[in-house]
Amino acid sequence: MASFTPYAYIQCPCVDSVPGSRSPDGASTPTSHSSPEDDERDFDPRSPRSNYSLYPIEYMLYCEDCHTVRCERCVTEEVVTLYCPSCLFEVGNSSVKTEGNRCTRSCFQCPICIGPLSVQSLESTPAAPEPSLLSADHATATGPAGPWILCCSYCNWNSSEIGVKFDKPQGIFAQLSKLRSGYDNHHSRYTSSGDGDTYPTKRDADGEPGSTKARFASLKSFYQTQMSNENPNSGLGSTMDYGYGSPGALSRIMSLYSGNTLSSAKPKSKPTIMREADTTKEGLFPAKLDDTSVMSGLRSAGYDGTATRAQVNVQVEEGARFATDLWPIPYVLRTKRTKRCPSCRHILSKPEAKVSNTRWRMRLIAGNYIPSITIKPLIPVGAPGGPTTHLLTPVKPVQYLLTFKNPIFETIKVTLATPAVTPGRFASKVTLLCPQFQIGANSDDYNLDEVLKDRDKDPQRKRSDTTGQQVEAGKEWDSGRNWVSVVVEVVPSSIQIEPKPTILKKLGEVDDLGPLREDEDIVEIPIFVHLEWEASADQVTGKDREDKETKEKKELAYWCALGIGRISPE
Amino acid sequence: MSRKPAGVRTEYIETETGNKVARKANLVGTQHIMLGGKTVIMADAMIRGDLARTAPTSSSSSSSGTAPGSNTAVFIGRYCFLSKGCCLRPRDASTRARHADDTPSAFTYMPLRLGDHVFVGESAIVQAAAIGSHVHVGKNVVIGEFAIIKDFVRVLDDTVIPANMVIPSFTVVAGQPARIVGEVPEGGHEAFELRELYRTVGNNPQPASV
Ligand SMILES: [Zn+2]
Ligand SMILES: [Zn+2]
Ligand SMILES: [Zn+2]
Ligand SMILES: [Zn+2]
Repeated sequence: MASFTPYAYIQCPCVDSVPGSRSPDGASTPTSHSSPEDDERDFDPRSPRSNYSLYPIEYMLYCEDCHTVRCERCVTEEVVTLYCPSCLFEVGNSSVKTEGNRCTRSCFQCPICIGPLSVQSLESTPAAPEPSLLSADHATATGPAGPWILCCSYCNWNSSEIGVKFDKPQGIFAQLSKLRSGYDNHHSRYTSSGDGDTYPTKRDADGEPGSTKARFASLKSFYQTQMSNENPNSGLGSTMDYGYGSPGALSRIMSLYSGNTLSSAKPKSKPTIMREADTTKEGLFPAKLDDTSVMSGLRSAGYDGTATRAQVNVQVEEGARFATDLWPIPYVLRTKRTKRCPSCRHILSKPEAKVSNTRWRMRLIAGNYIPSITIKPLIPVGAPGGPTTHLLTPVKPVQYLLTFKNPIFETIKVTLATPAVTPGRFASKVTLLCPQFQIGANSDDYNLDEVLKDRDKDPQRKRSDTTGQQVEAGKEWDSGRNWVSVVVEVVPSSIQIEPKPTILKKLGEVDDLGPLREDEDIVEIPIFVHLEWEASADQVTGKDREDKETKEKKELAYWCALGIGRISPE
Repeated sequence: MSRKPAGVRTEYIETETGNKVARKANLVGTQHIMLGGKTVIMADAMIRGDLARTAPTSSSSSSSGTAPGSNTAVFIGRYCFLSKGCCLRPRDASTRARHADDTPSAFTYMPLRLGDHVFVGESAIVQAAAIGSHVHVGKNVVIGEFAIIKDFVRVLDDTVIPANMVIPSFTVVAGQPARIVGEVPEGGHEAFELRELYRTVGNNPQPASV
């Protein structure tokens, strides 16, 4: 609460668009939805929907063909590279399909604290001088021998706590999965014999690996045979075709729902009911209804011995209850991705494919196309005559400077609009003192010192010298070569929760006297920004700008949400 | 350069290559510290150059100046910014031997490398093996031994990066222990540039431009 950083979020036009394929009327094309000039509509930055479309300018891309901003929610992504965030090795697409989305080398996270695990020799953990890090001859001569364990450098957990040791320090993933399936197998057999339920003989006879993967595979093959037996015509198609659309399945479902009527009408077509898996060989995993072992575990290990919700959630396999059920977590792979415009499919950003290369082949960021907005109090906190706290005092007018900086090589005409009061329960009054202005063009030989010199020439204009200058309506506060500062005045509302006077109420309006909701004390101003500039026809490609004389008028408009500050609760 | 009258001690020592080092900075073993230029070191920041590869007792003999690199403990690139009270400490590869009965024969400090445009926040402790370029390390961050931070990484305030951790490029990390909490957006690369910040400190600081 101590400090609040003012922010400016831009609304992506995708907020009121429906992806083309899913549009309810089906007729509208994906391009027809973007109508940013539609300023009839109100914009409430607090509405739950707005959450998904407001982004800082750094997060937005710009499509030169559609002339609009694009956010991370609406762009379409294509994976360029998959890699492990720990060993930074690239993983091929085919291996992801077969091995899954985790690193299959030796990269693991601690099951207790998610810190990185490193391979260490069990023998030498406390005593050996140099485990495997220096010269190779050193390692072979006096290098530590197995068994090896995974150790967490953050919480000091190590895999011997769950009885996991490795024969060699490489290929830990493969060794661990072998150990794991063996463990589960043993574990399930142990519990089943202890339970004395109806399945032990079957399970012991089958001796199936107990891993989720193996169970899924056996379930899948079981149901596939069931379906092909039931309906040979449809079941033999593709493996992913479950045959629900087939006439056989339909009649079976109909008979289930309509009961006797259908079967009596057509007695000969009564289908055989599909059987469910009922042995472990078929993939059945009986629920452990007998909790005696769990209870005795709880009694001996206590609360500290149980796994937390967070720890269970990051486990690869589900069902862990005690800390001893928690296994090292292989790192989930990360990706480098290309982003495309959702409507014209042009590439908006494309990274170099190599993991080690941090350059980008393409990066059309919004910050290079539309003005950035920075917000700061006109009189800084602590300055003479200024506020003494970062909180806004209710009903006391306060002025903020909005600075617009132009990144493009053309002069931009900016028109701003805000509602007179902020939406929501606590309506603060907002006045834009200069809603219309022009920002000069950016230039290639942009020189910081020159700009500074301009500003220093006229001490009256120095922004820090606030006492000498009057805030005038309709006038820019300050400007430079490619930036303009304007003043916005805010009269913060009181955030006391009290019923509205009846005279101000609309017909049928009900008071909302609920407690203060999260961030409801922030003054957030919806502001509509309209930009107008003349672009050379070829500005789009950035080539031969000088050659072409033809100028084209361009327009862009969008909503922004400006977070000014928190209102003091008094 | 300075507007202050001659004879008054300036707050910063400004070197030929443009480094601005606060007089109150605490640089130990300066002959083992290499600055790439235009780096700012604020007051109370500490760099342990004395933790060089050789035993610290022999480092006092100033013959090491002839071969830089071989015996340098801390490499810092251009436009780095070391905030108040931060500490750069080369990691000691022999720490694991501390509990051993036999004392290690030599100290095996591995050099600590910082790329360009690395911001180290207030009171942060950096013992990493390497930090890439365009990295922002927040306030009170602790970076453990052997950790490697790649380019374009943002480490949020109060994060603890465990020893041996590798942080890939374009990630935002936070937490104790650190975990990846986000991605650096495409438009966020320029925010790592420290040229602007460099100008605003020193004996003759320039006001921040708009
Ligand atoms: Zn969007
Ligand atoms: Zn890996
Ligand atoms: Zn741990
Ligand atoms: Zn487009």
